[in-house]
Parts: sequence; structure tokens; C-alpha cells
Amino acid sequence: MTTRWHRIFTSLLLSLLLFVTACAPQTSRYDQVQKETTQRGAAPAVAKQAEQGATFNKIFPKSVKGYKGYEVVPTQEKKGFAEYKVKGKDGKTVAMLSISDTTSVPAAAAKYQNATETIAGYPTVEQGTTTTGLLVNGYQVKVLSRDASFTRADRVAWLQKFDLRELAQLKPAIAPTATAKPAIPSYYNTKTPSQQPQKTPVLTPQPAG
Amino acid sequence: MSKPIFKEVDDLPTGGLTVTALKSLDFLIPGQWQNLTGFDNTIRAVTGETDEALIQQIGERAVALYNDKSQGYQRALWLYETVESGSGLLGAAALANRIGQDSFLGFLKNITPKPEKAQSIDLCVKLVTELVAFCQINGIPGDSIGDFLAALGDYSGESLMRMAALVSFDGVIPLGPEFANKALSIFDSTSPQELEGNQTYKSVQELIPGGGSSEKKGFITKSFDSTKNWMQSFVSAKNVTREGLLSRLKGFIDFTDDKADYVGALLDMNVKYYRHTGLQTLARRLVERAVAEI
Repeated sequence: MTTRWHRIFTSLLLSLLLFVTACAPQTSRYDQVQKETTQRGAAPAVAKQAEQGATFNKIFPKSVKGYKGYEVVPTQEKKGFAEYKVKGKDGKTVAMLSISDTTSVPAAAAKYQNATETIAGYPTVEQGTTTTGLLVNGYQVKVLSRDASFTRADRVAWLQKFDLRELAQLKPAIAPTATAKPAIPSYYNTKTPSQQPQKTPVLTPQPAG
Repeated sequence: MSKPIFKEVDDLPTGGLTVTALKSLDFLIPGQWQNLTGFDNTIRAVTGETDEALIQQIGERAVALYNDKSQGYQRALWLYETVESGSGLLGAAALANRIGQDSFLGFLKNITPKPEKAQSIDLCVKLVTELVAFCQINGIPGDSIGDFLAALGDYSGESLMRMAALVSFDGVIPLGPEFANKALSIFDSTSPQELEGNQTYKSVQELIPGGGSSEKKGFITKSFDSTKNWMQSFVSAKNVTREGLLSRLKGFIDFTDDKADYVGALLDMNVKYYRHTGLQTLARRLVERAVAEI
């Protein structure tokens, strides 16, 4: 008798276990942002007031002295964003160049409040190990390495060749200032970039262009 | 609600008929295509970053961008999926069960090769879909037509593999090495009414530029005509032949030479290379944008 009940109990328990595991939703580190960006009335990822990407085309460097044989190819142009690819002499992609309107991503602009260095007079930060960015007039300019041969020094050299003066004269992006606290969506990591450059490079501010 | 983008990319297959068929084309573009799957993997591969907090930040921005319908990414994936689903009559699972079994050749009797007309329309529509999806994902980059063509001509990785597969599986195998001229002349002689009766065209026509089928047909013809030279020189430079492609496919699909006609139809039904590589392209571009915007 006991054995029989034991058996029934075991099978019941097993089916319950199967049922529970089959129904348990798989969790992902992106579940929260997925929920926040798909719920009714969610703020769009790209702000209505963001500058047209086409406006940025004239700001990009088409070539940089000392980088003979390098090619700059347009890759993306969306609202609030434009991106070019830098190809090395062998045709391999060595870096990406980008300009984005931080109106859509206030946290992107906010991180420059903690900047300790400047390039061409504009606050600059390092993100991760491959990106150097600077902020002009609420617009974020970045150079991102895509090959180990393209170092931070290269990124800094290319950043200075954007037409930053022209960018500074555009209608300013609605970016947060040091006094105004921007509304940063909870899912953005607003911490100071963890990897600051190890040594302080000596940068002589140069006028752009 | 549609499936989250991170789930779509995580669920990309690492094996199966589509991946195997694409791998068989490696000889055309050696080392250009790695089957990159997984959302976080894609972020790491594209950016070269390893810091988990940074990967999280990039991933979150990519998810937000994808979920903003106005940004066109969802439409692009829909295009890549839809243009291929028109002809899928049998599940890949059903087919996989038969491969390598005696019943496989018997099974082949039940499928008929597509007539050349339908095949030509499919090829032209698929090519235009690529152009439309490109604009949904990347916008129209640069300041001039020349800039745009440079962006379009800069295909590499999974995008180049998609074009190699289009030329091979939808061009050379069903229509022969002269497929581009053949398809174009057949497409040109197709009436707008006939076009409307084609399943592939019907599925994506709403996103093809042009007021009615006649205008859309004109747009397709013009687009195909302008990429014809690229496709032709790809075929001649790589010496792509029907026999060469079939011999490589024989490595994983068992068929005899007299059944070679069916291979095109078989691939058509079961190899979802547009969706597979299209999603990989989309994920890469999303990540490129996300890392630049955060």
C-alpha cells in the first residue's frame, strides 16, 4: 500500500516539476528594457526633436593627413545619427566615426560632466577600450577602433579632424547641462566609465578643420 | 507583441540546412562569413569590448532602437522573413528527417521545379527587397548618389554572403550562369497582372517604391539592371558554375545528377538564408549604432 502511494506521489511530483519548469519564463538581462520600451506610451528611442542625420555629413573628415590610402565610406544615416567607416590601406575596416544627437539619450551627454580632459577644447571620455568620444553643443562625436592597429592616439587624431566648429554652430541639441538634471531612464548605467585612460596624454587643443 | 530582438539573435541556428548550405559557399568569399549567433556574442564581436556593464549598456540601447518602430529595423526583419516565406511549403524538420534515407528520392517526386518565369520574378523581387531593407536599416547614407552607391557597394560579411547565396541558389542553380540577363528579360516581359499573381511579389509589394504594380515593376527592373553587372562579374570572377555549386551541395544533400533540377526547389523551400543573414546584418548595424549613441 505504502509503495503504491509512494509511486503515485512520486509521479505527481514529477509531473508538477515538469509543468513548473516548462512554464517558467526564461529570463534575460534585457527583459527590463524590453518591457520598458514596448509598453503602452513608451518613449521612442529617437526623440522627435533630434537633428536629421543628413545635417552631420558635412562635419565628418573625408581624409586625415598622415593616413594616406585610408578610405572614408558612409554607412548609416538615421534621425539623430550618422556613421562613417574608415578602411585601411588593405581595405580592412579599422575604425568607425559617428555623430549622434544626445537629445534621445540624455545619459550619453551626462557622462561628459565628469570628464577630466578635453580634446580641441571639448570634454572627452573613454568608453571601454575601443572608444573615444567628445561632446560639442549636445552632439556626441565618437571614434571607435575596429582593429588593434588603430590606437587611442589615432582616435584622438581623427576626432580633431571633424569640423567641430561647424558642429558647435548648429542649433544646439537639447542636452542636459551641469545644473539641469536629465531624466535618465532607469536602465541606463550612469556610472562614470570604469576604464579611464591610464596615463594622461598631452593634448594640445587645436582648432578643428 | 513581436519577439524581442535579443531572443531572435540568440535563437539563430548554429547548424541545420540553412547554415550548412551557406557554409558550402565559403569558397566564393573565403573567410568572409562566420555564423555569428547570440546577442551578447554579436556585441562582443562587433565592438571588441568585454566589460559586462558596457555590453549591457550597448545591448539595452540596441533593444530600445529596435523596439522604436519608426526606426525601420522591425520592417527590415519583416522583409527578410516575408520574401522567403512565399515558397516554403514544407517544414525543414520534415525534410531533415528524409535526408539520407531511401525515401528521400521518393519525396523529391512530390516537388516540382519552379518554372523559369516564377524563378526570375523571385530573383528580381528578392534583390529589390535587399535594397529596400538596406534603406530601412541604414537610411540613405551620405550626401550624394555616389555616397549612397559607395555604401551599397561596401558589402562584406553576412551581407556579402547573402548576395553570394542569392546569385548561387536563386540565380545560377535554377537559371544557369547567364541567369542575370535571362531573369531580366523574362521579368521585363512579365505583365503587371502576372506580377500580382506571384506569391513572392505579393508578400512584399507594399514596401516596394511605386504607386501601382506597373510603377513597382519599373523600379524592380531598374534596380536589377543596375546591379546586373556586379552579379555577372561576381559569377565570372569566381568561376561560379551550376556543376561546381551542385558538387559542393552533394556533400550534405544526397541526390543523383538526374535529380539536380529539384535541388533549386529544395533549397528554395528549406534554406532560409535571407532571414538568417538578414538578421545577422540587422543585429550588427543595431550594435554599431547603439555603441556610438550611448
